[in-house]
Amino acid sequence: MAKAIAVAAGSYEQAGRRGAAADYDVSLMLRFQKGQELAFQELVERNHARVIGLVYRFISDASDAEDLAQEVFLRIYRARHTYKPTAKFSTWMFRITANVSLNALRSRANRKDDVSIDQVTDFGDGPRALPDHDTKMPDHDLHQAELEEKVREAVAELPEKQQVAVVLNKYEGMSYAEVADTIGCSTMAVKSLLARARDNLKDRLLLYIRTGRGRQRLT
Amino acid sequence: MSAPCQWVRSVLAAWLSDELKPSTAEAVRRHLEKCESCRAHMELLRESWRLLDEVPPKSIPPAFTARMMARIVEEKDLSRFAARLRPHEQRRKVLASVAGIAAGLFLGMAVYGWTGLLTKPVSPVESEVSQHVSFLEDVDLLDEIAVIQAMDRPDLDPADALDGA
Repeated sequence: MAKAIAVAAGSYEQAGRRGAAADYDVSLMLRFQKGQELAFQELVERNHARVIGLVYRFISDASDAEDLAQEVFLRIYRARHTYKPTAKFSTWMFRITANVSLNALRSRANRKDDVSIDQVTDFGDGPRALPDHDTKMPDHDLHQAELEEKVREAVAELPEKQQVAVVLNKYEGMSYAEVADTIGCSTMAVKSLLARARDNLKDRLLLYIRTGRGRQRLT
Repeated sequence: MSAPCQWVRSVLAAWLSDELKPSTAEAVRRHLEKCESCRAHMELLRESWRLLDEVPPKSIPPAFTARMMARIVEEKDLSRFAARLRPHEQRRKVLASVAGIAAGLFLGMAVYGWTGLLTKPVSPVESEVSQHVSFLEDVDLLDEIAVIQAMDRPDLDPADALDGA
């Protein structure tokens, strides 16, 4: 049994290496490892849009998303001496991205826990991220903004692993196997994670689905 | 809920993502054709998943790469600075440790001496002798001798004898 697992792991790693060899980003990373700074610049240029986009799916804050994307590339920069091309570069990069984003979410949650009751009362729990209802915003935009907020909330309220699986599968278009590689679990586990995630999302967004195909305002 | 319905619902998410084996996917499709309840469930799952598209993607900030590379330059400067700082830092730490130990020793000895622990006798006999020695040190022996001599001579006032001494 152990031998079978070892063989499977070996062939998996070989497959990873083969994938890595065909990966242009991996070759850039290897060139960077040999001291070519321009290769790193090209890596950033090629991948920053995906990284920023992905961070934004977790964080929902534009300025934080850019800062955190910089943090992702900084980690890649610092890891140049230890980097080994055993898998696709994007798998490694997205794993770092998910970790950085989740760390930021955790520290944000901790900061929220530290906020005093007075502060909570001051800032309220109302729709501060939503448009001001007194402004002359068309109804459609108002509904759309609220819908976006509700969808973001529904994703953000998922357990961490489900959230990562949803973001990678839905927004990055990764297959179950790719999600499994990125978050370091089996394809079966991803299948189960996404099944539960989709059930949770259905429950949380039920009212939008039933009242006019996601276009009605939740009251 | 019947067993087939339970099974179909457990794989519906994978079916919607096209992640099932063809034979399994076909079995699910056939079940959905005849089961209205599972079909409704599948529609809800599909629609809620579609709602996630309502959140627009982030527009990419211009000149990100330039800012990133500027940060890398900062990072390199910082590492160089830290590397330069390291020998001085180590020397300073060693000096601080030595000074700390010396100060501790000095303070310890001062406290030890001040409390008299260094000169304190260890046995009752030594203690007795020490008391007498202290007494003798405190007495002005010349005064003592002068007073005794005055007492031997009745014509001399002991107070005068003290003045004369």
